[in-house]
Amino acid sequence: MTNERIWTLCKIAVVILIILTFTPLVTPSGIHKPAFMGLPYTLWVGILEAFLLVGITWLATIVHSGRHEE
Amino acid sequence: MLLTLGIIGILYVGILVLLALRARTDVKSSNSYLLGGSNLGAVIGFFTFAATLFSTFTLLGMPDFFRVHGIGAWIFLMISDAVMVFGLIWIGYELRKKARKTNYLGMSGFLELNYKSRFAGIVAFIGVFIFLLPYIAIQIRGVAIFLHATFPEALPMWAWAAAIVAVMIIYSEIGGLKAIMYSDVLQGILLLVAIWIVGYNCLHHFGGVTAMFEEVEKVNSALLSVPGPKGLFDFQFLLGSMIAIVLLPYTQPQVSTRIVILKDIKSLHKMAIGIGFFAILVILPTAFMGMYGAVLYPDASTSEFLNMTFISDQSNLIGAIVMIGLIAAAISTSDSQLFALGGELRSILKGDDEKMVFLARIGIAVFAISSLIFALLTSDELVLLARTSFAGTSLLAPMIFTGIFYKNAPNLTVIPMVTLVALIIFVASLLNFIPNHFLGIRMDLTLLAIMTLFALVCIYTDRSKRGGAIEN
Repeated sequence: MTNERIWTLCKIAVVILIILTFTPLVTPSGIHKPAFMGLPYTLWVGILEAFLLVGITWLATIVHSGRHEE
Repeated sequence: MLLTLGIIGILYVGILVLLALRARTDVKSSNSYLLGGSNLGAVIGFFTFAATLFSTFTLLGMPDFFRVHGIGAWIFLMISDAVMVFGLIWIGYELRKKARKTNYLGMSGFLELNYKSRFAGIVAFIGVFIFLLPYIAIQIRGVAIFLHATFPEALPMWAWAAAIVAVMIIYSEIGGLKAIMYSDVLQGILLLVAIWIVGYNCLHHFGGVTAMFEEVEKVNSALLSVPGPKGLFDFQFLLGSMIAIVLLPYTQPQVSTRIVILKDIKSLHKMAIGIGFFAILVILPTAFMGMYGAVLYPDASTSEFLNMTFISDQSNLIGAIVMIGLIAAAISTSDSQLFALGGELRSILKGDDEKMVFLARIGIAVFAISSLIFALLTSDELVLLARTSFAGTSLLAPMIFTGIFYKNAPNLTVIPMVTLVALIIFVASLLNFIPNHFLGIRMDLTLLAIMTLFALVCIYTDRSKRGGAIEN
């Protein structure tokens, strides 16, 4: 897979995660279960999402076309 | 407590003085004084970006936000910050590429250049000035109310606030942006240490994460989900906040300047990833503090809660470290913002560089005093005031992006005019002169959507007429 394609996939993945943030999958109204390691639902899913976003950012820095500039 | 605070305080001030003297330069050109030489490496870049971004608003505001509104605060700030970090790789790169081709001194001057319109630069400066002032003010007020609550007999609140502003003016006057960035390294480390010590202690009080959230559930289970007990974290609030925060690196000059002055793209990439992890590390313990407060001090005022959690419930040494960490956080963010305002002013001034830098330095002092007045008059809702600042500056985004990325921006000087109208409407809604919702949608979201649509229509029309092109 080319770097350009991975970069496009990174952008798509981030957009999907943003959309999911506002759906009941991440932010169900008034629901805090199932918990994970004691953390209420939206918090642990939110932490997972934050790590995913930072992970995608890391991947994006590897494949970004401008990384060798300057 | 006072003795411990005195010793740590003297150490802290001593290091600050050393850093300021190291950064001091007799030649105060725009580039050296306002942009720190425009050659920032990844490590200093990371710390200065982090210290500018995570401030009193994070250290004092977020625990209280978690305590009052619950765990939706994580989505409000952390997810927005994580998306913002990705945006740095994408849009930040484009901004840098464009800005480094010019003699970039500030976003206002940059827009003036791209629109070939002085009015565009002035609108950008007005927007930044109006909405950065409350952000600077909350840093000052946050620490001043905290210090006053801790030492009620020592000084009145206004005197604490004035002392903080005096330190900021003297420090930035001596060393310029370079001194601010050096001190940001120290302040960033202090912030992280202070926040984790208190966060860990809060968690330790319950004996672990599970026990803590079980206690919170007994007290107020609405804190464990969105929209929270007061219904704040609804779709509109979270979406509006995310947009405003994601746009922050381009609409708030203290952040955009740091993107532009990084020495290369690799530094930008390393800094972005570092900021992502740093955000998780900084925001997570504020959730522990908030939950601790929700159980132990659910009905306390903001200052009472902060005082109990950060000082009374900690040992003297930790209390002193936290206090210095707080002052450091407030100073690092505020002086960066004040300096950015100075840079913005310089960027729209024309004339001999040395004279213009002198004017910008006077401007910085005037902005600092204006912030002090605002700090004394404003409310204690630190996070909501910060959000207002983010939302206000985000209204500049359509004008900024059109100016930077549309080749024929000089044909679209109507956009700065409409931006000015949008800023006036938003301020009027904040002052309750007009409703703060339009057809049930928050005014900031409504205005941003209209402005974006308007900019796109302008570009489309111009391209149809002239065959212009959007540059990559």
